[in-house]
Amino acid sequence: MKRRAILALASMVLLAGCPRQALFVVLPNAEGSSVGAITVDDGKTVTTLAQPFATAESRAGNTAPTAETRQNISTIFRSAIAAQPILPHHFRLYFILGSDELTPESKVAYRAVFDDVKQRPVYEIEVIGFTDTLGDLRYNQALSLARATAIRDALVRDGLDRNAISIAGRGKRDLLVPTADQTPEPRNRRVEITVR
Amino acid sequence: MGLALWLAAGLLIATASAAGAADPPPIAQIKKVTGQAAVLRSGERRPANVGDMLLVKDVIETGPDGAIGITFIDNTVFSAGPSSQIALDEFQFDSNDFRGAMLADMRQGTLAVVSGDIARSTPGAMKVKTPTAILGVRGTTFAVQVYGDH
Repeated sequence: MKRRAILALASMVLLAGCPRQALFVVLPNAEGSSVGAITVDDGKTVTTLAQPFATAESRAGNTAPTAETRQNISTIFRSAIAAQPILPHHFRLYFILGSDELTPESKVAYRAVFDDVKQRPVYEIEVIGFTDTLGDLRYNQALSLARATAIRDALVRDGLDRNAISIAGRGKRDLLVPTADQTPEPRNRRVEITVR
Repeated sequence: MGLALWLAAGLLIATASAAGAADPPPIAQIKKVTGQAAVLRSGERRPANVGDMLLVKDVIETGPDGAIGITFIDNTVFSAGPSSQIALDEFQFDSNDFRGAMLADMRQGTLAVVSGDIARSTPGAMKVKTPTAILGVRGTTFAVQVYGDH
């Protein structure tokens, strides 16, 4: 037992003498989303890092948890983090029953989408339309695409690049609020917008 | 049958508007460039410009004072610091169910990552390979440094 511990300690000391080959760090999540984890597999062992600033390093081909100060981490990755683009943002706008016209509240919320896009040097926008379950599949497929198209056209009218906007309609598939068929549900009459 | 055609048409509209028919689909867009940065494609090195689209197998490189930020179509965000080389080896993404897979080969430099839809919807499907280890991602923000040859 004792001998094994001494061997383990000795190998750690030996590895510490080898140059660092790689460093792996979990960073605090941007914009308050929950922290997940990374696993680092060197072919012999798998190291899991699941806390902000948890760190592993490779020396002589072996990867193991290590301690690195926050200050060193921020120095090492300063340029990489400074090069981070504005993160993608998601928006949801709602429509009047059976129409491709936004609700009054969502007409206001639309401006937030536009303002977000204007902050980006380059942008891509995805607009996906949805409906509630009132009506048949074909009708809702057409309505969902009409909703996405209406938003695309509004963004283009407001000066954005048509080629940077993709649209799709998913009809009454992918309900935000699960309901039975033929159920009016305002929260399902929507477009989901991703700006990146 | 009419219904199936309708549904297929809806999906086609989505993909057709994203890219021309013959081109391989873009997987990411360059959002930010500082100093020297380049894209290596089919053995040819071209300067990296904001707005350029990236394809699978592209390699992004930065000079000693360079940095680059890119956003993938699954909303994964990569940003690399100076003297970095990262190959975008594999990338598949289905925007209908958000599932997919990606493998980046981090050969040198520093890389910060905010994971996107692939890591969220398909645990274990996002990987970053380094010379010493393979990193698997379960929906998080992380950074990797690979030291150059000593």
